[in-house]
Amino acid sequence: MMTLRKYLKQSATYKIFTQFGIMFHDFVDTLGKITMMGLRVIKGILSGQIRPRELIIQCERFGISSLPITLSIVGMTSIIVASQVAHEMVKQGGGNFIGLLMTMLIVREVGAIMSGFALTSMIGSSLASELATMRVTEQIDAIDVLGVDSVSYLFVPRVLSGFIMMPLVVIIASFVGVIVGAVTSDLFAGLSYRAYFDSALLGLYMKDLGVCLLKSATFGAAIALISCSCGYYASGGAKGVGLATNKAVVWSFISIVILDMVFAIIFFF
Amino acid sequence: MSIEVKNLVKAFDDKKVIDDISFKVDDGEILAIVGFSGSGKSTVLKLICGLIPYDSGEIITSEGDIAMVFQYSALFDSLDVEDNISFALHERKELRKKYTEDEIRKIVSEKLQLVGLKGIESKFPSELSGGMQKRVSFARAIVTNPNTILYDEPTAGLDPMSSTLIEDYIVSLKHEINAASIVVTHQMSTITRTADRVIMLYDGKIVFEGTPQELLKQETPYTKQFVMASLDGPMQMQA
Repeated sequence: MMTLRKYLKQSATYKIFTQFGIMFHDFVDTLGKITMMGLRVIKGILSGQIRPRELIIQCERFGISSLPITLSIVGMTSIIVASQVAHEMVKQGGGNFIGLLMTMLIVREVGAIMSGFALTSMIGSSLASELATMRVTEQIDAIDVLGVDSVSYLFVPRVLSGFIMMPLVVIIASFVGVIVGAVTSDLFAGLSYRAYFDSALLGLYMKDLGVCLLKSATFGAAIALISCSCGYYASGGAKGVGLATNKAVVWSFISIVILDMVFAIIFFF
Repeated sequence: MSIEVKNLVKAFDDKKVIDDISFKVDDGEILAIVGFSGSGKSTVLKLICGLIPYDSGEIITSEGDIAMVFQYSALFDSLDVEDNISFALHERKELRKKYTEDEIRKIVSEKLQLVGLKGIESKFPSELSGGMQKRVSFARAIVTNPNTILYDEPTAGLDPMSSTLIEDYIVSLKHEINAASIVVTHQMSTITRTADRVIMLYDGKIVFEGTPQELLKQETPYTKQFVMASLDGPMQMQA
């Protein structure tokens, strides 16, 4: 005869609660590890453990190699928005505000968030799989046994490069996005470049630029920190590398959205 | 005395993997830790070099570096052989100040010669055979002249000739740098050709301690089962 305990263990409710328990435990565990790594990175930077050669390599990886895909994504987002909005705004008599709308949208949101997503999928996933492979092949253990702090060696140049390079990538991507918006508005709604850029400059404030840069730097550091942490704590061979990469991408995406919301509340509420 | 382990205990999820073991290794001595897979051999090495913390007990080592040669070499695949070997010299502050670039190059070349390799400084690990990778990892381990060297299954996955070569290097390094060495292995040739003493682990405990010759005499049920590679005996493989 089935006992009550056994019955409960087989029930769907028990399984759902168990699953939620595991997910919650995993969430708290990952958050704790990322926070701890973040503090160690700050400590590493403040104590001058910056390796210039490695920093340059990571800056090139974060900035230059990611630029084509980032520019394409921001440019295409600009085409999608402008092609749908420009024609309608000109029809409703608001053609002179298309430039303002596009600039505000790109500088305040699209540039940073789309670049963040592009860099997560391109650089974040590569950082996570790189460190996860190093973990499962004992390369990280080897760094520690050789008397070198693996966190400072691996994390500091990567997180710092994200912090430095992401604002540069976002500035270039936003600039391209605004230009693409002008070309799209001209093609779809016959709006002159002059009308577009006159209003574009009206919508551009120093505060927006400042927030955009700060937000981008935060996104860059967060992507690198999360991705490196997920890779660093990987275990269990090829499957572990896959899981770590997956986790890094999911956590980075969610963090970008949460950080974006926090910035919006702090600076524009 | 170079390494002394006293009443060491380590558990994972309430399962004691290392259960109150004690042993000593002197300078210039090679101790082989043997046992079936899952008996806790590699865990002992990781505890000694500080990669994982132990729950209780004591590990006393002489001042100086502890080096480890990993089972699958663990060479940094993004760095060439020279950068792999000189990694600690470049990345550790106190060593970076001590040596010039020319001196580092000279040290790398010397360590490569010690393991019988020459002129491969600019090659990447993926361009080397398994045996060569293992020898490069030896060179990387001894670059700081450690007084303790830990070998985790140094001949696993190698052909018999490469294994013999690696075993010879373990012995010659012992004479060369007079380090205390621990070799984790389950290969009989590695035990008999390199070790001065042997301890056998089973279920986290030491079940035999003696010389390789005493191990081969098979005077206890444990040594008999291990040497005969038999499934019948006091040691049962975990399912």
